[in-house]
Amino acid sequence: MSEADERAIVRSEIRWAVVAIAAVSVIMLAVIFAAIAMHINPPSNVERINPQDLHLSAEFTEANLGTKVEANGQITARIVATQFAFVPRCVVLPADRPVTLRFSSPDVIHGLLVSGTNVNTMVVPGYVSQVHTVLRKTGDLLMPCHEYCGLGHSEMSGTIRVVPSAQFRPGPDGRVACAAK
Amino acid sequence: MHEDDHDGLTPAQIAEAMKATPRGALALAGITTGLLMAAWLAMYFLVFLPRGSVG
Repeated sequence: MSEADERAIVRSEIRWAVVAIAAVSVIMLAVIFAAIAMHINPPSNVERINPQDLHLSAEFTEANLGTKVEANGQITARIVATQFAFVPRCVVLPADRPVTLRFSSPDVIHGLLVSGTNVNTMVVPGYVSQVHTVLRKTGDLLMPCHEYCGLGHSEMSGTIRVVPSAQFRPGPDGRVACAAK
Repeated sequence: MHEDDHDGLTPAQIAEAMKATPRGALALAGITTGLLMAAWLAMYFLVFLPRGSVG
């Protein structure tokens, strides 16, 4: 191979390296833009909770599950992911308002996504998974478990019922539940 | 056919083909990488960003 041929190969490899660096840079800038300008970040809450007495602890007792409007107006849905269901199976949330979803598991690792949204997190026993979001679409959104959790995994799904903000009417205790169908 | 036959090509013809080969490889890599980037950007702008804030 002549020296000129070798130089041509080195030039083409340098050009290709520039293309690869440019592609990675574009992706990195897009991710940083989404994080800073659009507030789209991976859920990163680190909060311990004892999975052995989850159903006895103050926050995830059965009576405290589901959607609640806190005294400061913050809307929080608390859901237990357990083999093989989400408890409660259905939660109501308003569209176009900031909401917080809090999950925990008493048994094994679960995961979930809410279809048509960027909500997507693992639910690890011993931790509280927390996701802040604003839901744009109204209707029943499917929330399947996406981490294999046992033989009933494929049957494990819940529903996020997104209603127009005007139709979101909490009771005197600040709670809102899915109406029985 | 004998191994030294080079499929009936002369060394000059092989050298000529080898000159064009890197351009073809670059074109193939460029098109596939370009399609991959286009698909990533389409998912990012048309699906991911419209779904809104999360964190």
